[in-house]
Amino acid sequence: MNFNLPSAVKGVSELLKTRVLPEVGDNYTANMARMGAALLNISANWVDAAAELRVAENAAIRVLLGEGACLVEDALAARLADAGKSSDPGLKISVLDAENHRLRLLLIALQEHLEARDAEAPRALGQRIWCLLEQIELDRAPRE
Amino acid sequence: MSELAGRIAAYFAHRMPEARDVVVGELARIYGGSSQETFRFRASWSDGASKVERPLILRRDAPAGLVVAERDLEFNVYRALAGQRIPIPGVHFLELDPHHLDRPFFIMDLCPGKPGNPFSPDDPYDGHGEAIAREFWAILGHLAAIDHGAVELTGLRNGEATSGFWSLELDRWEAILDEDEAIIEPLIRGAMRWLRRHPPPEPMKPAIVHGDYRSGNFLFTPDGRISAVLDWEMCHIGDPLEDVVWAIDPFWPITRHLPLEQGLACWEQASGMTLDRKALDWWRLFAAVKACVIWNTAEASFISGENRDMTIALSGVRAGHFHRKLILKLMRERGAMG
Repeated sequence: MNFNLPSAVKGVSELLKTRVLPEVGDNYTANMARMGAALLNISANWVDAAAELRVAENAAIRVLLGEGACLVEDALAARLADAGKSSDPGLKISVLDAENHRLRLLLIALQEHLEARDAEAPRALGQRIWCLLEQIELDRAPRE
Repeated sequence: MSELAGRIAAYFAHRMPEARDVVVGELARIYGGSSQETFRFRASWSDGASKVERPLILRRDAPAGLVVAERDLEFNVYRALAGQRIPIPGVHFLELDPHHLDRPFFIMDLCPGKPGNPFSPDDPYDGHGEAIAREFWAILGHLAAIDHGAVELTGLRNGEATSGFWSLELDRWEAILDEDEAIIEPLIRGAMRWLRRHPPPEPMKPAIVHGDYRSGNFLFTPDGRISAVLDWEMCHIGDPLEDVVWAIDPFWPITRHLPLEQGLACWEQASGMTLDRKALDWWRLFAAVKACVIWNTAEASFISGENRDMTIALSGVRAGHFHRKLILKLMRERGAMG
């Protein structure tokens, strides 16, 4: 089977733009159709790499959580160390997103501890976390 | 649409029992306002000896949207600010009973003019950009100068507070984010913590804050005048700098039409206050955070199916990305990345 989700979604997006939109007389509905086509196009461009992107993001967060384990207090340190060694429980997008949320919560807890400390090592790790957040945003940018 | 027109006509007949032959025509939904549904229409009726005809606007609560406001807030603000040097539409009926049109709504005048699209690559103000920007800043200055107690707006959010507006607003936006965030966003939370660690100075006075004062949320006429400032559903009492930075946010910057310093001079002249330029920096980051929370709420309401408006969906995707990138830029300037 050669049919795939990005092609299907892009096809519907094209249909909306080229066939449906010119036939719509009402201004409000025409704008909704135009924006719906744009949304489908962005979604189509996200689909293929969606799992890969989340797996890579989760792995990058785990590295920083593992490094942070030696810079924080005991209770959090153990949770960070465990998370640093953990792996994704599945490859469904919903499963990867749930894991991503769990890791992000720990990343925030780590940031809060690092920000409360006035020393070089916590500051440097805090800066690397912000650099990762920047990279994540670039990787997740909507492509039209 | 004709069914809605009939229901609006029935409502007019209900509110004006003396009116005869109520007709509602030319009903059309207006593309744009996404936290409220906005429709234009023409109503006519017979008032004893004469026939009355009015171009009007229906503002109805959306099922869900950006940030849902108190139902009667916008109506009350319009009524309170009438005659206060702020161009606004006259308001008529406020209806909170969903029995009539499914959700609460109010009726106001259709003002002359049109909105400028801040996202258009062309001149959104037909060659009047500078004059409009000057008036834009002057109106905001007039708004900041109004004593909210004197116009009976102490019922607005923070209306009884005298200080700590930055904290009250940051708490509010964080609470909204807590409700709607499916996958937590560390960069927004990190910016919020930075804002708390570096509080801004207190404002000179508590001011009426429009809450969404920006290019695109007012009408202008062909002679280059602002005929109406709209979309007051996020209005509250706070630091006037909140509106100033919202107006210059790079997503819809009024500075495209007038350099910032000239705009601030217009604001100062109209308000009679000196603006603390150093404090702008704190509020710029606050504005980006507030925008992110609004886009997050939009995204959540689309994903949940509460609101299927495409404006809501695309706001969550495009504008959300824009403002997260802006937060990262502002945090980089603050040394967050070394």
